[in-house]
Amino acid sequence: MATILEAKGVKKTYVMGKVLVPALRDVSLGVEEGEFVAIFGPSGSGKSTLLHVLGGLDRPDEGDVFIDGTGLSTLNDNKRAEVRLRKIGFVFQFFNLLPRLTALRNVELPLTLADVSEKEAVERAKEVLRTVGLEERINHRPTELSGGEQQRVAIARALINEPKIVLADEPTGNLDTTTGWEIVRLMKRLNEEKGQTFVVVTHDQSVAENANRMVYLKDGVIQGVKKSSGGVRP
Amino acid sequence: MRRRRIAAMAWENLKLRRLRTSLTTLGVVIGITAVIALASLGEGFRVTVTQRMEQGFELNVLTIIPGSLFAGLSRERFTDEKVQNITEISGVEIATQVMQIGNVTLYNGDQKVRAFVATAVNFTDFINVFPDRFTFESGGAPEQGRNDTIVMGYKVNHPNETETAFAVAGDNVTVSLTKTEPAPPPIFARSIVENHTFTVAGTLQKKGTPGLTNFDYWVFIPLGTAREIYESPESDLIFVRVSNPDRSEKIAEDIEALFPRYKISILVPLTFIRQVDYIINLVQLFLTSIASISLLVAGIGIMNIMTVSVMERTREIGIMKAIGAKNMTVLAMFLTEAALIGTLGGLIGVPTGYGLSYLLSYVVSRFMGGQHQQGTVLQTPETQQTMVSPIFSLWWAVGAMLFGIIVSVLFGLYPARKASKLDPVEALRYE
Repeated sequence: MATILEAKGVKKTYVMGKVLVPALRDVSLGVEEGEFVAIFGPSGSGKSTLLHVLGGLDRPDEGDVFIDGTGLSTLNDNKRAEVRLRKIGFVFQFFNLLPRLTALRNVELPLTLADVSEKEAVERAKEVLRTVGLEERINHRPTELSGGEQQRVAIARALINEPKIVLADEPTGNLDTTTGWEIVRLMKRLNEEKGQTFVVVTHDQSVAENANRMVYLKDGVIQGVKKSSGGVRP
Repeated sequence: MRRRRIAAMAWENLKLRRLRTSLTTLGVVIGITAVIALASLGEGFRVTVTQRMEQGFELNVLTIIPGSLFAGLSRERFTDEKVQNITEISGVEIATQVMQIGNVTLYNGDQKVRAFVATAVNFTDFINVFPDRFTFESGGAPEQGRNDTIVMGYKVNHPNETETAFAVAGDNVTVSLTKTEPAPPPIFARSIVENHTFTVAGTLQKKGTPGLTNFDYWVFIPLGTAREIYESPESDLIFVRVSNPDRSEKIAEDIEALFPRYKISILVPLTFIRQVDYIINLVQLFLTSIASISLLVAGIGIMNIMTVSVMERTREIGIMKAIGAKNMTVLAMFLTEAALIGTLGGLIGVPTGYGLSYLLSYVVSRFMGGQHQQGTVLQTPETQQTMVSPIFSLWWAVGAMLFGIIVSVLFGLYPARKASKLDPVEALRYE
């Protein structure tokens, strides 16, 4: 299988006041198309930073990230926004939905940004919301939805542009265990049915163990990689 | 992202914060209202003044007076030869000279009136220069060649605005004329009074022209007779009627060339009106500039509110960017919000401005109506009441709208740029 996402020698240091805090120290990682990869580790290990760098939200100090063979460091802000729009879908711990928009409008938003006609956007958004099991809730605003439902809307939004890669940052972190598992199962199903590549950041080992591959990150360094069966538990 | 969708999103954002949007827009409304009210009143003022001046000064009549404004009145007097020379200038229809006699007393039986201005004219030419001013209450223009007839202005004939006239056409009227008999020094010149009897050929209707020459106060006697009485072939003023008022300035130059420098002055109504127009323009510009300051204040209001808005929506901006919004899209969204506030302010401000100007004009006209001026010799408005009607100008309306939008967008630029430059990761972390 082809490598769709690759980090090469990525370093990132944050400046907190006068103190330099290294978040990523020389991380190299390749993700293959259709893979479900979990990046797991304790909090402060640099997982989220790695995810942001992989998704072109943040620039590394050194090294580069390649999406479909294109190095992100060569792209300007607008080009990287274009890559995020077309090739990547983001799912966040705190859902990050726009509170004033309905579920449907939230899901539509990337299509609006991609200049898809309103009619087509509505149809596609409804379709994706059906896929995540929310066809009954499309006209509800985020505040009228449960945490699990909000995360489903967020996943639907991440999928709407049919990106090759979905990056999820602690997608179960703000949900109760049962709902969390529903979300994991949903992501696994989408990964298997649609062949989309998932990179999920989590501090929960049991969530991570559902991936094809577990990448253990600590102190900004990959400590180990473990292949697993990828079967959903429990 | 399509413009229409950006505009729709911007509009939704504004609706979401109704009170804030209303207050911000109110600032723009006030600014545009002030600009439009002052501009339309100024425009109305200009038109009223210009109309009045055009009524007062026949645009096609130039007046040549002796002396100049720089060198004082000269003793330059006009002769038939000069008048003839002027007539020959291209564009001149008629040139006619008049002799100013000063005030005279008229007697009709036991009645007596005084006329402040007695003017000796060549009736045929003079009436041709001012055809609109000679509407007769009784009688008509004197027959050509007669040297014993006069024409009386309305106020001379009705000294106390009474219904009954001092004289009607056909009456014989005695005019007592004062003339100065020169004497060699050291003896002072002596004034002597001579009485002459004339037949009234016609009496004029009331005109109340608002210009400098109000014939209501004038009495006209034949030039030939006056020359005999005063034993002088010279005259004091020349009126020149030109065929095209637009050429009057060029013709005035040609006339000036006939006289020694600084010996005469020519009153060109067009120049005068242009000057007044220019001054009104300046005043209008000045007032509108002051009004524009309020629009700038409104702009600062927009900047302030948008800066707050950007801070509040930092996370939202982060989300938009994370899912692929370009910097330009974020910039366009915020600028569209500013432009919408400007447009909304304009749409409300322009009609409000016109409304206000009508209200002001109504109040002013009511106020002025109570203060009607009494007539004086150098008389001005009598037949009309002062009334400045605001004038709607599409240019001003469009200009004010555009100005409002431009100010809004310019002041929105800083916060909008700030929003567009936000780092997505930082913005997503913002609580």
